[in-house]
Amino acid sequence: MTELIFQAIYSGLLQGGSYALIALGLALVFGTMKVINLAHGELVLLAAYIAYAVESAFNVSPIVAIPVALVVVCISALLVYLLVDRIKKDRELNSLILTYGIGVMITNAILLIWKADIRSTKSAWLQDAVVLGPFYSMRSELGFFILSLVLMGLLWWWLSKSWYGRAVRAVASNRDAAKLMGINPRTTEIVSFVVAGILAAFAGVALYSYGVIQPPLGHALTVKAFIITVLAGVGSIPGVLAGALLLGVVEALTVTLLSSALQEIAGMGLFLLVLFVMPNGLFGTAARRG
Amino acid sequence: MKFFGTLKSLKVTPVRNMLEVRNLRAGYGAINVLWDVSLAIAPGKLTAIIGPNGAGKTTLLRAIIGLTPVTQGDILDEGVSILNQPTWDRASHGLALIPEGRMIFRDMSVEENLMLGAYAKQNRATMQGNLERAYAMFPLLLARRSQMAGSLSGGEAQMLMMGRGLMSSPRILLVDEPSLGLAPLIVQEMFATLAKLKAEGRTIVLVEQNTQGAVKIADHVYLMQGGKVVLSQPANEVNMEKLHQQYFAR
Repeated sequence: MTELIFQAIYSGLLQGGSYALIALGLALVFGTMKVINLAHGELVLLAAYIAYAVESAFNVSPIVAIPVALVVVCISALLVYLLVDRIKKDRELNSLILTYGIGVMITNAILLIWKADIRSTKSAWLQDAVVLGPFYSMRSELGFFILSLVLMGLLWWWLSKSWYGRAVRAVASNRDAAKLMGINPRTTEIVSFVVAGILAAFAGVALYSYGVIQPPLGHALTVKAFIITVLAGVGSIPGVLAGALLLGVVEALTVTLLSSALQEIAGMGLFLLVLFVMPNGLFGTAARRG
Repeated sequence: MKFFGTLKSLKVTPVRNMLEVRNLRAGYGAINVLWDVSLAIAPGKLTAIIGPNGAGKTTLLRAIIGLTPVTQGDILDEGVSILNQPTWDRASHGLALIPEGRMIFRDMSVEENLMLGAYAKQNRATMQGNLERAYAMFPLLLARRSQMAGSLSGGEAQMLMMGRGLMSSPRILLVDEPSLGLAPLIVQEMFATLAKLKAEGRTIVLVEQNTQGAVKIADHVYLMQGGKVVLSQPANEVNMEKLHQQYFAR
């Protein structure tokens, strides 16, 4: 039994890597534009279906689809930005309705093009077992987990050391003061949407490489990303990573110990629990909210 | 055709004013704050704008940098209208507002705050030198360089904003109430810093409620009241007693 629990924790941690990439995209856009992109999970799912489409059309590994997914998802993210940018009144509220609608449209477009069947990769190489001490995982699980850590490292470097990254943080911190520094907030908004698209593209291909995908998944991913962002408090990269790993582990333990039918509700339960006990999130402090 | 050509080559209007505000009206939505405000800022001089609370001094500076929308009038920088430029373009072309209150990036380090002051592309090459200058001017910031800016005291935050504003080597410095809410000793230090900047030949527009201190270091003084300019005088001709009478007149 204990072996089973440890294995579940390990699998949950690996799953958390992709969750972190998705949540960071959501947090980045919220930071610069104060817009919660409810179509973000659908963008991730779009990348997953592109991996499926490329795999079945050319009979190649889904990994080959990463460049295609990057292009398509970034363009889609820019389209979402252009639509959100057209809202002039009460953007924080109206953008919720708009992006929710975009999400529904993407889900239905996926349904129309690729049907409602459950899809998973045919690549045996990706699904081969990797044994790490007492723990088992698929090659794709471990590989994409490491890749997600690398991407988070790059994101951290970009946000703290590059001029564009600093501008993104400046706009998120104080919009008017950022303008005084010569920063055009619109540029940083576009940049944050594109970076969110890049992270979503990698996460989507990862999801397809080690799991099963179906059209309603996009909405569930948005909810997960939202839960993680709230868990993390304010969007620091280590906080989001910790929140994502925690969600992954809680889900995996629920599936192992109780039932896979309870996977989604376990995340919600964690969410409510944290909100009750630590309203500022696991890593947020009351002072930073103001 | 030829007529226009000669006109152009004549260059009839020599630039005498660094910054000029003409009949400016500005405000927030339905509430108008500035009523036909006109002023001229001479290059290399310190111009003080004084007046009681609610006179529109801060709104004027915010309108000059483009944070508050202008409904009428014009703002000229070296004779060219900048009214259609967004704030970030004005900021990258030599205007710097050192705001009042805590317009800092709270969750970024002191050094990152300063570095952002040199964000405009042409200022990045001189960033290191300007950073050292800012630290030399405010040694306290050097001691706190890796601390989060949100943890600074009011006076330290004011120094940070001053240092940050200088990171872009601005032609025109707009300073909004640097003495507000600071301890007397730090207020003195702030005025000494401004006098030093003036001696360096920078053009400075200083908004202040501390009339004594402002007039002492100023070359020209404007008094604002109820959104209008009610007095414009060279600083050495200002009679403090008369000024105070006008200051409190309604």
